[in-house]
Amino acid sequence: MRKRRVIGPTAAVLGGAGLFIGAVAAWLVSRGNPGNMGLCIACFLRDIAGFFAGSVTNQAAVAYIRPEIIGIVLGAMGAAVATREFRPRGGSAPLVRFALGFAFMSAALIFLGCTVRAWLRLGGGDLTAMWGILGIVAGVLVGIVFLKRGFSLGRAAAVAKPLGWVLPALTGLLLVFALMAAFGTKPGFATLTPEDGRAVVPGEVVVKPDGDTLVVVKPEGATIVGGAVIAQDGSVLADAEAVAATKPMPGGRRAALAVSLLAGLAIGVVAQRTRFCSIGGIRDAILVNRYDLLFGVVGLLVGATVVNLLLGQYLLGFAGQPVAHNDAFGSFAAMGVATFSAMLLGGCPFRQVVMGAEGDSDSAVAVGGMLVGAGFTHWAGLASSPAGLAPNAWLALGVMLVLLVAVAVLGSRKTA
Amino acid sequence: MKELDVRGLSCPMPLMRAKEALADSPGEMLVRADSGTAKANVVALLADEGYAVVVDHSGEEYLITATLA
Repeated sequence: MRKRRVIGPTAAVLGGAGLFIGAVAAWLVSRGNPGNMGLCIACFLRDIAGFFAGSVTNQAAVAYIRPEIIGIVLGAMGAAVATREFRPRGGSAPLVRFALGFAFMSAALIFLGCTVRAWLRLGGGDLTAMWGILGIVAGVLVGIVFLKRGFSLGRAAAVAKPLGWVLPALTGLLLVFALMAAFGTKPGFATLTPEDGRAVVPGEVVVKPDGDTLVVVKPEGATIVGGAVIAQDGSVLADAEAVAATKPMPGGRRAALAVSLLAGLAIGVVAQRTRFCSIGGIRDAILVNRYDLLFGVVGLLVGATVVNLLLGQYLLGFAGQPVAHNDAFGSFAAMGVATFSAMLLGGCPFRQVVMGAEGDSDSAVAVGGMLVGAGFTHWAGLASSPAGLAPNAWLALGVMLVLLVAVAVLGSRKTA
Repeated sequence: MKELDVRGLSCPMPLMRAKEALADSPGEMLVRADSGTAKANVVALLADEGYAVVVDHSGEEYLITATLA
């Protein structure tokens, strides 16, 4: 009789990785990132999409090249190259993966966070995230049904070398744009949420702090008089009470570029070396009775909780949570759809970014689907707000679920 | 020796296939993998199942040889 372990030595490695990522994410909030959003792959890719297409996609409040994403890609790429794990590969249903990335993003923006942020929200005391985490479990269970029926998107194979470098190369370009924007020379087409900018009237009246006072960013020529925003023609655009009640837009909340970039680099190296995945732990525990990967998300939750408590930014409850809504069933369904999509992709969005950085062109295509999906979701007015779900969000979730089931059924065949 | 090819498969298929292959406790097994993640997952599974594992990464791919200890 051979001896069997269901928890191996990699459990400690993954637990440590989760602790590190959760702790760094919580710390990034104290450095300026949005509440419980020290790290969010969906939100950060959405912000990047907003930088390039925000003027078309109504993303004025969420437009910023998140240096964490640049860091993660470059860190993971460096770790993969250094350990000879960088390998250009692809050809496993890239178009389907694009659609799955798109669907993942749409559903995540209805929940208000990806499968990583769901745990980070809970780690900040946001109990509404529990509905999302129940949704993750549901999405995993549905995905497992199809995996057991033989679902596969087909085998990837080695591809021409340049294809493997697409995501790292585009990330290098992203760094150039990020530096341009940081030094005040952003290109004319780009949208950038002003740092700590507050939308008094979304899309129309925007103010931002300048030292101890507020200045008007938009519209041009308007000024602040006695706390109110006064237009050039003397009319009152927003009274002092409305101005005082506004909060910084998520895209304007950010840690310093160098801080975000370095944190991303470290997280990228750790994620590449440990294969940290925000859905794989639950999946492996149920599907193959292995628990190592589960220590990753447990660590993430513990790391974020401890650091949030230490930094005095832990807020326990359901109401008034940062960048979150309190629609229980909506959160459950959105995260369920997002996770089902990630299950069909073979890993969470964080993993897709890391694998894309390792030369996996299919994962890079999935990330492309996420970027386009983010733009579409905001353009179509489907993204949620702290007030709750958008009017057509349920319709969108229903359509996505039908499409995902179709992909899962059509792809359920034995791969040679 | 039992042979298994998990090259090009997305997660969690390398793990599922390896687990299936271990059902009848083969004395020796050779697994071919082409990603660091598949290699790491399969090696961890084999080690946890009581196998002595040797990984050859001299070429492009990983050749994982497992022997029941």
